[in-house]
Amino acid sequence: MARAGSGSLPRYILQRILLVIPMIWVILTVVFIVLRVAPGDPVSAALGGKLNAQALEQRREALGFNRPLIAQYWDYVSSVVHLDFGTTFSDNQPVLRVVRDNGGATLTLTFAAFVVALLVGIPLGLLAGRFRDSLPDVVIRLFGILSYAAPVFFVGFLLQLYVAGPLGLPTSGDATPITVFQVQPKTHILLLDALLSGNGAAIEDVLKHLVLPATTLGLLICGIFIRLVRVNMLQTMQADYVEAAEARGISGGKVTWRHGFRNALVPVITVVGLQFALLLGGAVLTEPTFNWPGIGSKLVFYINNRDYGAVQGIITIFALAVVLISVLIDIVNALIDPRVRF
Amino acid sequence: MIRHKLVAVVGSGALAVALAACGSSNSSGGNGASSGGTGSPWILGTTDTVTALDPAGSYDLGSSTLEYNLYQTLVTVPPNSTKIVGDAAKSCTYDDPKTLTCKLSPGEKFSNGDALTSADVKYSFERSIKIQDANGAAIYLLGSITSTAKDGTVTLNKGAIETPDDQTVVFHLDHPDTTFQYVLTYPGAAAIVDQDVFPADKKLADEKIIGSGPYKLDQYKSADQAVLSLNTNYTGPNPGKTGQVFVKYYSDPTALALAAKNGEVDVAWRSLAPSDIANLKQDSNLTVANGKGSEIRYWVWNVGEGVGKQLAVRQAAAQVFDREAIAKNAYDGTVDPLYSIVPPGYGGHQDSFKTTYGSPDVAKAKQILQKAGIKTPVNLTVGWTPTHYGPSTEDEANEVQRQLESGGLFKVTLKSTEWEQYQTIYKQGAYDLWILGWFPDYPDGDDYLSPFMVDGGFFQNGYKNPQVDKLVAQEQGTSDQAKRQQTFGQLQDIAAKDVPFIPSWVGQNTAVYGQGMSGVETTLDPSFIFRFWLVTKKS
Repeated sequence: MARAGSGSLPRYILQRILLVIPMIWVILTVVFIVLRVAPGDPVSAALGGKLNAQALEQRREALGFNRPLIAQYWDYVSSVVHLDFGTTFSDNQPVLRVVRDNGGATLTLTFAAFVVALLVGIPLGLLAGRFRDSLPDVVIRLFGILSYAAPVFFVGFLLQLYVAGPLGLPTSGDATPITVFQVQPKTHILLLDALLSGNGAAIEDVLKHLVLPATTLGLLICGIFIRLVRVNMLQTMQADYVEAAEARGISGGKVTWRHGFRNALVPVITVVGLQFALLLGGAVLTEPTFNWPGIGSKLVFYINNRDYGAVQGIITIFALAVVLISVLIDIVNALIDPRVRF
Repeated sequence: MIRHKLVAVVGSGALAVALAACGSSNSSGGNGASSGGTGSPWILGTTDTVTALDPAGSYDLGSSTLEYNLYQTLVTVPPNSTKIVGDAAKSCTYDDPKTLTCKLSPGEKFSNGDALTSADVKYSFERSIKIQDANGAAIYLLGSITSTAKDGTVTLNKGAIETPDDQTVVFHLDHPDTTFQYVLTYPGAAAIVDQDVFPADKKLADEKIIGSGPYKLDQYKSADQAVLSLNTNYTGPNPGKTGQVFVKYYSDPTALALAAKNGEVDVAWRSLAPSDIANLKQDSNLTVANGKGSEIRYWVWNVGEGVGKQLAVRQAAAQVFDREAIAKNAYDGTVDPLYSIVPPGYGGHQDSFKTTYGSPDVAKAKQILQKAGIKTPVNLTVGWTPTHYGPSTEDEANEVQRQLESGGLFKVTLKSTEWEQYQTIYKQGAYDLWILGWFPDYPDGDDYLSPFMVDGGFFQNGYKNPQVDKLVAQEQGTSDQAKRQQTFGQLQDIAAKDVPFIPSWVGQNTAVYGQGMSGVETTLDPSFIFRFWLVTKKS
């Protein structure tokens, strides 16, 4: 696989993977410091309105929050190296279990949001690019800017108020409590578990719950796709080979589809992966709005409770996911794009 | 309607790419529905959070809501009463103010069939104190049977709990304390666990807990939902009526209000914003039910330093404080004015601030200040936090500023900060006057007096009064309720005279429920126990 004038692909992959370690270490350290610098701690968040200063101090002492920061940091990093993220202070759950139980919901939401973004963003981008400076182009561009700029929770709230009722869609959760109870958690991804159970009512219920949150989050990044596809479409439609195709008398539709659309989509594939981090960030805002039981909702809850262990654990796993996907994209790019040198 | 459903399903289908064909809708999956009970399953939606379902690790309303239904305590309080009655115990009586003897009801069992004996009771207290979880209530509320070392380690006093036979538990208190019987009603401090199930030195995982209450836990997903079904081994006084109860957790009150409006929950309970309640009242499918509440807000004076050190300043502010206006303007009438730190409904409550100051009166306040030779306007720094007591706190702070400044007697500087910072800096003297809230641990007036008035209160505002210390010791040392209530009255009068704080309002216990529900009103009382066994949904 080695290319002329460059290193070997395995070495490139190894380099990228090795770089993950310092990146994670930096993230761990920053999260640790930020949580300690911010006012408050888990004890005062939970009991500050009930106990006097002496009792609070005794609890801090007992839990080790008064130990030197460097000692706490060392313990934290050592346990993370052993993949021990501890137990949350505010709701008594092992952190890895929180990730397992709630990660599936976030994964489902981000995946569905991607589908929405692609289904809405790509056709609109193509349309805008094909009919440049026309009314549809202006409207679509405006829609793209608005969907990207509008706060996620605001869009979510509007959908809950004005769309949920008329369409008979639920406004909260990933399923009714009865469905969640009845579906056996095999994969901890409710949609998959519902499919595996073969329970049609449960599948319908889960899908109906997914519509509004996925649309809200999907709209956030569909604006990016609209702009990207539109620009690519414009560039592609001005390319020599398109002009040549038109000169050969090929119909406008075929030129647009075969030469314009297909080539305009190539950069989108690269960008899709990069949107993952944005989607995770968006999930943190979307999930509380829809009471979606994902990891974003949990993160907000733990931050409010100054739950050091939980926040550190979840952010580390978020960071790992983003970094690993970035590495994966780099590797895929290296494999498919001849311009990438390694 | 069919079209709406179709649109929804088609939309859903578009989202779920590459889905396999739907299977039979009759398959019930892994968890079967529980049988028993006469009513249909119902769903409670709440914004409360659960810290732990093992009583050794919880000291919060979200946890105790489930615990009251899953466990038994020795004694409990019936709805709308502060009278203690037996739960797992037939009776608990003071032999003297330092000795409490409880006799268990015969034949009590845990939901797994294990017999509940006095050994389980003793074990429950011992393990809670041994685990001494920072989130647990035992180490904070069981002071009469424990000792605390300088490093904060709490130990059970030797011989504090005796079990002369399988049915009898005797508590030996280290000082006369008649509030101990009230502590025994609170599951965070006194729920009875199965000694064969719960480890002695660490918390049990939430989903594995076993209790002897009217319901048992079938499923628990933290911050998502809990599923309870009837405990068929329950022989106590409060058998459940509904085979299955679902509890759905919401992180946002607005999301809960929307869910109630859409019929996604049968009952929405607690933390709904005044504007949401007003909105839900307009919905003909919903009923907004109010019971007496016990959650209070009050404004604390920094008595140790600054302008709050001067009694006349505190009294003058109390004289212009308009609780009716706060309840109306800041909370749309969803709270009730509070004229004593002890809310109405608690034995010994009296409206001491109303008796002492009457209606808000700027002229009288001016006189108080003039008499003390205090120049006006008095500069006051008033603190509040936007992140702990809900969005209406800002409205209350603004209303208080308006009231204090209305006669030109005070010049108020409002300052706000995030809760974590707030609770640190108010103790450091950042404010002259600041807002706090309180939620009771046990249904007794003492829980509103001793934590607030002894040694500067838990908020450390510098207030000290030897007479208060004496009266508190007196009421805690007698089991004569008439005498205790008389003492409560004296303490409330002292609070009105010394004004270490200004009571503001008491919240209502509000729930919103849909059609077919009954029994919700019955459980809405100041104890804030949501008794699932009283609530049913029509089949």
